[in-house]
Amino acid sequence: MSETLTQRATPARDASARPRGRRRAPETIGLLVFLVAEIVFFSVQSPYFLNWDNWGNIMTAVAITGVLAAAGTLLLVAGQFDLSVGSGVAFVGIVLVQTAPSLGIVPAMALAVLAGLGIGLLNGFLVTVVGVNALITTLGMLGIFRGLTLVIGKGQSIFIEGFDWATARPFLGIPMPAIVLVAVIAVFFVLMHFTVYGRKMYAIGANPVAARLVGIRVNRVIFTGFLLSGACMALAGLLVTSQLGSSSANTGVGLELAVVTAVILGGTSLSGGTGTIFGTVVGLLIVGVLSNGLTLLNVDSSWQQVATGVLLILAVAVDRLRQAYLRKAG
Amino acid sequence: MAVRPFLSARGVRKSFGAVEVLHGVDLDAAPGSVLALLGENGAGKSTLVRIIAGDLRADSGEIALDGVPHDVRDVAAARALGIKLIYQEISDAPPLSVAENIVLGAWPARRGFVRGRETRVRAREVLDALGVDLPLDAPVSSLRLGERQLVEIARALTGQARCLIFDEPTAALSDAETERLFEVIEGLKARGVAILYITHRLDEVFRIAEEVCVLRDGHIVLHEKVADAGKDQVIEAMVGRSVERRARGREEAAPGADRPPAVRLDGASSGELFRDVALDARPGEIVALYGKVGSGASEVAEAIFGMHAVDAGALHVGGRRVRFRHPADAIAAGVGCLPGDRQREAMFRSRSVAENLAAPSWRAIAGASGLVTRGREAVAYRRWHDRLRIRSRDDPEQPIWTLSGGNQQKVVLGRWLERGSKVMVLVEPTRGVDVGARQEIYRAVRSLAEQGSAVVVATSDYEDVVELADRAIVMVRGRTVAEFAGDAIGVEALTGAAGGVIDE
Repeated sequence: MSETLTQRATPARDASARPRGRRRAPETIGLLVFLVAEIVFFSVQSPYFLNWDNWGNIMTAVAITGVLAAAGTLLLVAGQFDLSVGSGVAFVGIVLVQTAPSLGIVPAMALAVLAGLGIGLLNGFLVTVVGVNALITTLGMLGIFRGLTLVIGKGQSIFIEGFDWATARPFLGIPMPAIVLVAVIAVFFVLMHFTVYGRKMYAIGANPVAARLVGIRVNRVIFTGFLLSGACMALAGLLVTSQLGSSSANTGVGLELAVVTAVILGGTSLSGGTGTIFGTVVGLLIVGVLSNGLTLLNVDSSWQQVATGVLLILAVAVDRLRQAYLRKAG
Repeated sequence: MAVRPFLSARGVRKSFGAVEVLHGVDLDAAPGSVLALLGENGAGKSTLVRIIAGDLRADSGEIALDGVPHDVRDVAAARALGIKLIYQEISDAPPLSVAENIVLGAWPARRGFVRGRETRVRAREVLDALGVDLPLDAPVSSLRLGERQLVEIARALTGQARCLIFDEPTAALSDAETERLFEVIEGLKARGVAILYITHRLDEVFRIAEEVCVLRDGHIVLHEKVADAGKDQVIEAMVGRSVERRARGREEAAPGADRPPAVRLDGASSGELFRDVALDARPGEIVALYGKVGSGASEVAEAIFGMHAVDAGALHVGGRRVRFRHPADAIAAGVGCLPGDRQREAMFRSRSVAENLAAPSWRAIAGASGLVTRGREAVAYRRWHDRLRIRSRDDPEQPIWTLSGGNQQKVVLGRWLERGSKVMVLVEPTRGVDVGARQEIYRAVRSLAEQGSAVVVATSDYEDVVELADRAIVMVRGRTVAEFAGDAIGVEALTGAAGGVIDE
């Protein structure tokens, strides 16, 4: 036996006494500072801002985007995109409101969930089996399901009775959408940071060739990612339909961009391999707090869009510069 | 010399950082003649020709054409003087047609508009001059590798071409394609072009070159007319120092010699990659597959790891016949692999050293709970950190890209130690690592074998073979050409066999 490889490692170290070197600051530290600055600014400017109910409003406002952004982070970490989420949500909604009167709420919900999973399945199939680029696949699906929603709903806003669970505030006045959001974030947090599946997604995003060579069946793992994105579409579709009490062909227009904004703002690299759910939550809140605060200050919603756009570019530009600096330092 | 040289380099020096790789080299290339440039990896051949072709700048020295000194500032300046380097890697534009690729960068244009007919006429002229016939309108992506190389040569011949430099042009070519290339080179000679020809293959030198020049550690150690040079003389010049054999001799048989092979190939073939290869490695044994790039040595090793399908013959692992469809199948059967291109095939650059080491073992690390934590990954990492002497901050969270090449390699090796692989496949294990790390990798590979792994090393570096192998199989063009065992494994025997020259 070799003495070099089998000898006991040096006497057990005391983990707490071990020199930690320079502990790296979390990637999201800059954004966290920005979020705090935002909160301080708006709480000074508006007396209503720090109100408990107002935070309920912020959470409700970002719930739909947040549910989708959780899956969006998982996918982007593996270098994949899903742009079909906005249309998917609308399709789920229209399936629900169209079938509920004849089938009853629960069977209609089941059907709606299947619709969401079906879209995820189709995305996954096209990307991993056929080999179409994810951006192109989901861009195509964005068009297809927006169109199908229009066909099924005939362009009308269709109301649904007895489906208002999302307007409830079960305890401490916390709105239902906020609870759903926190639950989804918690599930994805564990999935991404503590499971084999999550580790595989990071590995694929960091280097798909090497991922294959450590035994990861890359296509299977990515397929599952799209399926999870479909599940989130289904959940978001149920949520938004319940919030509005109706659904139409305009439901969820532009959601995919809000999702991408939150994910990228949260520090997930466009090329995959890095990013955290925590970062996405921060990205989500930065956008949510900004638009809530600007509304409180009576700033026109058009200007809110401008502000969000500026913020996104600024965040990514700063990230680019930071990475260039790190490369030089390394 | 009878013919006045067209190109002469005098006292060329070049350093990278603190390391001088060319120590004042002199070189002459005569028109209508081929000068073969030989030397082991890292001898300075590529650096020298890149300086001549304007791709690198020398620190000092002079390059003269027809006796007139020139400042070859960049590639454009060299091209204007008629000096062109044809790189080993094909650098064409795959979707464009053959004709468009030939005139690439020198489009016949009028007022900014490319003239299509003129393009074809010019391309045809060049191809005719080369004596080859290629479909002008076909996209180059539809051509075979050898044909694409001809397109590269044709491009080099547009405009003035007085000195052509080939960097291992036959490495990836079939026999027939190599023959055709030689005919083209004979044609160029007849036209009075001066040719510099880098190669590893001795038989090619004696086939097409007039003169041979051997570079070793940045010095010219041999410059001789081919007619006057013997093969032994050339090999000796290339190898120079004697490489000591530190691996086990025949007497000290590997511990597992009486056990059945852990991995065995029986007449295995895989498409165009390799044919009819037989190999076996017992637990505790190190078997080397030695061959130059394109010889199929790496591919045989990769096939054992499930990266290429074995479509004829059989692969046995652990005494059982297996068909791997994915590296995951190989890993499950107990095979681990250190791939040849570490950056591209092995490293998750942005991830931590612990995560990089734990990757194939995540399932086991998660155990019944199904959860992988950084803490558990760190435990796995610490298990190997000291034993492999990985030099890093004592921080499992450190990103792997911050480690040096040799230490990155050790993390990748640790990956399979943690996984407990019984068969280890190593492809070019010392490529791109410095001298010190090289010794540590040898040490780690030997320990791997001593612990009972069967090790297969595919390499183009004879030092790896001499240092490590209990048995060595030499491959040329996808086939086994020689096999050596124990003390018969020597530098001369290896390079001779790989160069297509087998000593009787």
